[in-house]
Amino acid sequence: MSTVSTDIDPASGGETKWRRRGLVALAILLPLTLAETSYDSVREWLHGEDLIARDVEFGQSMPFGGSDWRLADLRGGKAGRLPDHAFAVIATFSVTVGDPDLQKQWLGCKVMLTDAAGRRWLPDFISGVSLPDGVMNCTSAIFSGAKKGDIITVGETFIVPEDAVKTIRPAVGLGSERPWYLRFQRPPK
Amino acid sequence: MKIRAIGNLLILCATVALSYGMQVSKPHYAELTAPIPIDGAMHDTVRARSFDVRLDKVVFARTLKTNQFGQERLLTTSGLWAVVTADLTATSTSTTVAGGTWQGPTGLRYHHTERLSYRQDMPPHAVDPDLERNGLFVFEVPPDQIRGASLLVAARRFAPLDAQARISLDAVPTGADGQPTDVLPLYDLDAPAPPQGQTQQGQTQQGKT
Repeated sequence: MSTVSTDIDPASGGETKWRRRGLVALAILLPLTLAETSYDSVREWLHGEDLIARDVEFGQSMPFGGSDWRLADLRGGKAGRLPDHAFAVIATFSVTVGDPDLQKQWLGCKVMLTDAAGRRWLPDFISGVSLPDGVMNCTSAIFSGAKKGDIITVGETFIVPEDAVKTIRPAVGLGSERPWYLRFQRPPK
Repeated sequence: MKIRAIGNLLILCATVALSYGMQVSKPHYAELTAPIPIDGAMHDTVRARSFDVRLDKVVFARTLKTNQFGQERLLTTSGLWAVVTADLTATSTSTTVAGGTWQGPTGLRYHHTERLSYRQDMPPHAVDPDLERNGLFVFEVPPDQIRGASLLVAARRFAPLDAQARISLDAVPTGADGQPTDVLPLYDLDAPAPPQGQTQQGQTQQGKT
């Protein structure tokens, strides 16, 4: 009959040592488990939100979602059927297509207007106002079959309150680039 | 040694009792993730997370008249039609408000009717920051579910852990029998509404912003 020697020996304080090791492991493993289980949700959330702005000067092009985006025009006025104290705004972008797989690169394309107070307006249909000839909205552009090197004009119509008109800036978010989005400087007066 | 064994047994019993108590008193998952109600009254602006809502008017009718695909339709009901007019605004980002529920005094819930085809003034309402928009919610409710009812408005019909405006309809005048005092025999959804701050611009005038 032989005795087996183990670390867990109450007489020598082994049990206390292992308890401490267990507690330390718990302190490391619990946050790691939390991080691992929430990783996918956080990643999905980040890829669904336009959180970090990349500012673009007026007249400049910026590569975004495999294409070069430039603000072509920002035009506003009283037009069509509008609520009181509201303006119709049309924002148009000149886009030079780089990667022609727009269905992948531009998935979830969102053109919006932001203002100094952080408010955001998404495109609206305005009865009596339509996009100029040759201008298509983002969703149509995705399915337009544009090839590499083509220059397309993407535009949207918006309704914004009068108090926001002076500070609005157009912005573009794409699924392949989120959480970054492009925010364009207004055209000079 | 004996005292220690009894102590261990007591701790075990207490743990079992506590665990059982926690199990039976545990809220259902749907309750844990239920929308977060924000209470308000008629004619008050109730601020939910992504939108503001102000309930202006509730009209009761026995029959609804509407045009669907160019044809006039009369919708009757064994209860009453409740047509709720609300002013909606987004708080900071354009969004949609799709969830409208009539909650009766006994807790019975009635969703926005599905008997009407899509109309621009029906949910989902697209709302923008600082631009008021008039929207309708239409419900088919039994007459005994009107006194003490509330209107629940949320961004989506199923909005777990999102804000839900809960607007008390106490201001609706009801008689001794609990039924509303004013019930129209017929309500025309397409009748021109009184002016609500809309302007019709005949000419398009555009210029730089």
